[in-house]
Amino acid sequence: MIAPIALALAATIGLAACAQGEATPETSSAEATGQFTYAIASDPTSLNPINVGDRWGLTVTNLVYSPLARVEGDGTVVNELAESIEPADDGLSVTVTLKDGLTWSDGEPLTADDVVFTYTNKAVRENGNADLLWIGDQPITAEATDERTVVFHLPSVSAAALSNIATETYIIPEHVYGDVTDFSVSELDPIAVGSGPYKLAEYERGQYLTFEANENYYGEAPKIPEVTLRIVSDADTVKTALQTGEVDASFATPDQVAELEGAALNVNPYAEGRVAYLGLNAAKLTDPKVRQAIFFALDRDEINTGAFLSEDYYENAYTILPPSNAYATEDVEQYQQDADASAALLEEAGVSDLTLTLAYANSDPAQTTEATLIQQQLQDAGITVELAGIEPAAVFEEIQKGADSQYDAFLGGYIMGQDPDAYSLLYRTGASANYFSYSNPATDALFDQGAVELDPDARASIYADLQAQIAEDAVVFPLADNLKILAVNPRIGGVEDAKLVPIYTFENFGLLTEQ
Amino acid sequence: MAVYILRRLLQVIPMLLLVTFVVFLLLHAAPYDVVDAITTPQMSEETEAAMRARYGLDQPIVVQYGLWLVNVLQGDLGYSLVSRHSIAEELAARIPNTIMLVAPAYLAALVIAVVLGLIAGSRRGTIVDKTIDGLAGIGIATPSFWFALLVIYVFGYQLRWFPIIGMHSVGKQGDPVDFLMHFVMPFLVLVVAFFPELARYVRSATISQLSQDYVLVQRGFGASRRQVLTRHVGRNVMLPIITQLGLALPILVTGAIVTESIFGWPGIGPYFLTATRSLDYPVVLAVLLLSAVLVIVGNLIADILYVVVDPRIRIGAGS
Repeated sequence: MIAPIALALAATIGLAACAQGEATPETSSAEATGQFTYAIASDPTSLNPINVGDRWGLTVTNLVYSPLARVEGDGTVVNELAESIEPADDGLSVTVTLKDGLTWSDGEPLTADDVVFTYTNKAVRENGNADLLWIGDQPITAEATDERTVVFHLPSVSAAALSNIATETYIIPEHVYGDVTDFSVSELDPIAVGSGPYKLAEYERGQYLTFEANENYYGEAPKIPEVTLRIVSDADTVKTALQTGEVDASFATPDQVAELEGAALNVNPYAEGRVAYLGLNAAKLTDPKVRQAIFFALDRDEINTGAFLSEDYYENAYTILPPSNAYATEDVEQYQQDADASAALLEEAGVSDLTLTLAYANSDPAQTTEATLIQQQLQDAGITVELAGIEPAAVFEEIQKGADSQYDAFLGGYIMGQDPDAYSLLYRTGASANYFSYSNPATDALFDQGAVELDPDARASIYADLQAQIAEDAVVFPLADNLKILAVNPRIGGVEDAKLVPIYTFENFGLLTEQ
Repeated sequence: MAVYILRRLLQVIPMLLLVTFVVFLLLHAAPYDVVDAITTPQMSEETEAAMRARYGLDQPIVVQYGLWLVNVLQGDLGYSLVSRHSIAEELAARIPNTIMLVAPAYLAALVIAVVLGLIAGSRRGTIVDKTIDGLAGIGIATPSFWFALLVIYVFGYQLRWFPIIGMHSVGKQGDPVDFLMHFVMPFLVLVVAFFPELARYVRSATISQLSQDYVLVQRGFGASRRQVLTRHVGRNVMLPIITQLGLALPILVTGAIVTESIFGWPGIGPYFLTATRSLDYPVVLAVLLLSAVLVIVGNLIADILYVVVDPRIRIGAGS
């Protein structure tokens, strides 16, 4: 029995040797294959544009479908399906005109009815992703006035509405999904008809998704005919596959960069508008002086360099908004390390022998480093920190218990987008993601004012006050906007045209080229 | 014989019930439930309560277990919390991939182990024996993730002989050459993971057989060492090895979790590890249940095989 196995082995090694010349691209190979292979970490959670919210699901959605418009990193609006977007003077409606001659990938015309169909279903709360389309207790409604015109009616004035209507709502075809009764599912059937640069050709669960260029795409025709998202969960395997050219691109970690650059890969760090932070549980640490004392004992630069290795891969954050946000300001209490101030505040508060329990995700190397550095720095200020390294889902479940939570402090990060009103989910009294148990009527009032202020300058000044107020209340110590690092095989060009953006990796995969 | 098997099968039922109930209890002792995992921050408390009712989570735990059991008996393992896909379907798609990798690797490891074990055992104390025993020792002590990375580095990166990721290249399903190319490296890693313990087992069995009186008798009749080994000792060593096959049953599903994840092999491994990381309880429960069932069924098969190959045991069990 051993003989056949030995033979089989010898045969495959022989085959391998034969195939070597043709099947193993070198990293420097300039051969055009008509394919772009991008390694992703796991299966998309949802492929349904109505409720998708995970990174890889959104990446697929952005390949296959199109929104009316996008909001760029600097806050400007770029039209996609829309030809024009006109907010009414009274701030209560927005009129969107679609481009002429739009079609779905199956050749059917894309009309205002599809837009109304999509927004109506997305605004249904049971479908799971309606919050951006609600103002207070009322949904935004859409109405088609002709083939190419949609009017959105707002229940009340909202400065955030323009951005909310435009972004992340990917239009789906009514003629395909008109009979679907339940849009809370994670996969629509079939999933292949869209208006994005590519259409889904094949999905092998746990293995890959392949996409073909959509010949009916309204924009510039995709330059690489085939895109493959390859699912690989092991980071070391991905790194080696990048080096051998088996995949063309993938996210990398700061510690992998030197080796990848050594293998001639292009390394592109870019901001995602994320805020990595240390949060305090205000329900347990009720005295603001104690919270401020903790923050004055910390050295932000040391923590960030420890966690993200080099200033190339992060930008310091000082407020609740990421530094790249158009409304971000640095004119707030930044809590530069000051041992004397820390000690004085603790004494004023009459607190000694302070002990904190700090929760963090132990599977995340950056957070593990942050936690140990925080422990060490607070030790120097006479504050004892007990570390609790657990699963991230468990951290947030537990911290939401407020005063009953086991944890006094926790590490986290969020990506909330461009409009500052979105951050009210984290910092308003009783808001759904207010992990800090933070409540200040002054902050709530500022959020209320900002949401309905239509004058940009006045709005900026409101949000500057808001950032200063939250910094003073010391419930969150923003650490950094840590950058994503995308490693790309040099045979792939056009990375700048395709544009690196938060979440989707590329704004338009269709603009990548083979060199 | 039929009575014996029937009696053993009847014993299995309460054991499976107990195992699943314990796993169920442990999972429900966790501080979160299904609804916590799928709720979004925007969801109202009324919606959450309605969802709890929909999933039966407002019922006492015994009722919940009963409902779950009824579903499982109908082949419904529930839905992943994260993707909301049917777990039974996901498992059905992935288990064949795992078996395709593990079964050949285990059989190859078994053959290698029998040959090496017989050689080592029959030459006890010699250089050959020490080399084989030493190799087995190193093999047992080598973590398979480390060996897998080494194999990837040498054959995948330095020599560029084999592709690193997955079971086949994109769009080449059903191409046997492409499959073999992807198969070789994880196969090699698994063979190295499986064979050392089996080899040690065969070696010690051989040594104990060689010390039996019948060997002395055969030698007395002038049989060569080869004849003694192949005709008599080999056969007696093979009997317990056959029962090892039954005990190896769970390996078919859970024996390659780490290796699969490293090579991106689309089997149970990456699915289970991802589910564990994201606290996807129903998936973890389903895989644990499957694994427990296979352990129990594997033991049953081992016992039956024992009876089949050695009728004396049946007499013992009957008395």
